[in-house]
Amino acid sequence: MPELPKSKVGIIACSGEETPEGTITRLAALKVLESLRPHETVTICLPLFLAGGEGDRAFARLHPTIAVDGCEKRCAARGTEMYSAKPAVSIVVTDGAPAESSGLGSARKLNERGKHLVSEVADQIAWHVDELLDLKRDRDRGRGPQVDGPESREETKPRQAACSCGSGIPMQTLQIAGREVTLIALPLLFAQFRRAGRLPDDATKVELMRAVKVYNSISNADVTSYEQAIMREYSAFCARSH
Amino acid sequence: MSKRVLIVPCSGIGKSYGTVAREGAYVVTEDLCPEQTKLVPLALLVLGGDEARSTMAGAKAITIDGCKLTCAAKVVAESGGTVAHAMDVPNVFRRHRDLKPSGIAELDENGHKLARVLAEEVRVLVDGIQEEVPHA
Repeated sequence: MPELPKSKVGIIACSGEETPEGTITRLAALKVLESLRPHETVTICLPLFLAGGEGDRAFARLHPTIAVDGCEKRCAARGTEMYSAKPAVSIVVTDGAPAESSGLGSARKLNERGKHLVSEVADQIAWHVDELLDLKRDRDRGRGPQVDGPESREETKPRQAACSCGSGIPMQTLQIAGREVTLIALPLLFAQFRRAGRLPDDATKVELMRAVKVYNSISNADVTSYEQAIMREYSAFCARSH
Repeated sequence: MSKRVLIVPCSGIGKSYGTVAREGAYVVTEDLCPEQTKLVPLALLVLGGDEARSTMAGAKAITIDGCKLTCAAKVVAESGGTVAHAMDVPNVFRRHRDLKPSGIAELDENGHKLARVLAEEVRVLVDGIQEEVPHA
């Protein structure tokens, strides 16, 4: 898969409504999205992979993703892999601190122990966000979140969680063989190739088409018309950004 | 006793309406109709397969969605379930504009009130479904 810009990490919580651990995944994800790493993270609801469109299903193909699950069924991790792409990191709430559900309060209202676990899981997520985005410059490598403290970057004024439903994936619509076709990730791929100094020539065409096919389904019969339209658009993109 | 009505809220995590859907489902299944209803986690249904189908088999569901994408209703239908009623929070809010919710991790007072109003509406629907079912 091409290395698209890793500007944000996607956080996908199972949000299981039935158990305290499910609530912990939800609240931990929100803490990261709103307070710990608001500028570096984005989220999408797990069911949207099934209920949404192609743009939603491309989410984990465009963002390195952290799946956060409340139990060993790993619905978030498995669902993300099934519909989008394998998560970069899979966290299960009970992995690090096995605890009886009854000791965490209820799914509706966590007790103090449950709230403490929310903070622990949120710290764990934030640590992985930094790893994935290579934001380790302020950290003492290898010492883990307990020492270097993701909380130290916590914003004092929480932001609203950034939700990507139906809007977070860059897409572009082209006229191909007389019809409008929306291609996922095309703007990012154009920008990436342009930054790499690639001119709109035959060698670029081969690589660009290979990258486009990672995110979009193109039948063999349509390849030529897609190539023509995409290279025409890439030439125009290069001319505009010259 | 007739079969429990399944309550399936969306897992909305980016908007207050999603939290209202979740809280409303808790009010129904824990406070108002604990004996008549069962909460079903949507994440489980997303995976599909036998577990999802057996959860939904033969039961009627009321879905509660937080936005127009209606994930809960779509996923229940995809899992072979019967959506007896598809509720959505924005629609309930339109009828109670004084209860504009805010907060996602923690709902404000309006959010809790809207969840309660929603839950009361769901209770009426649950009663209706149970009355439809012929007694053995």
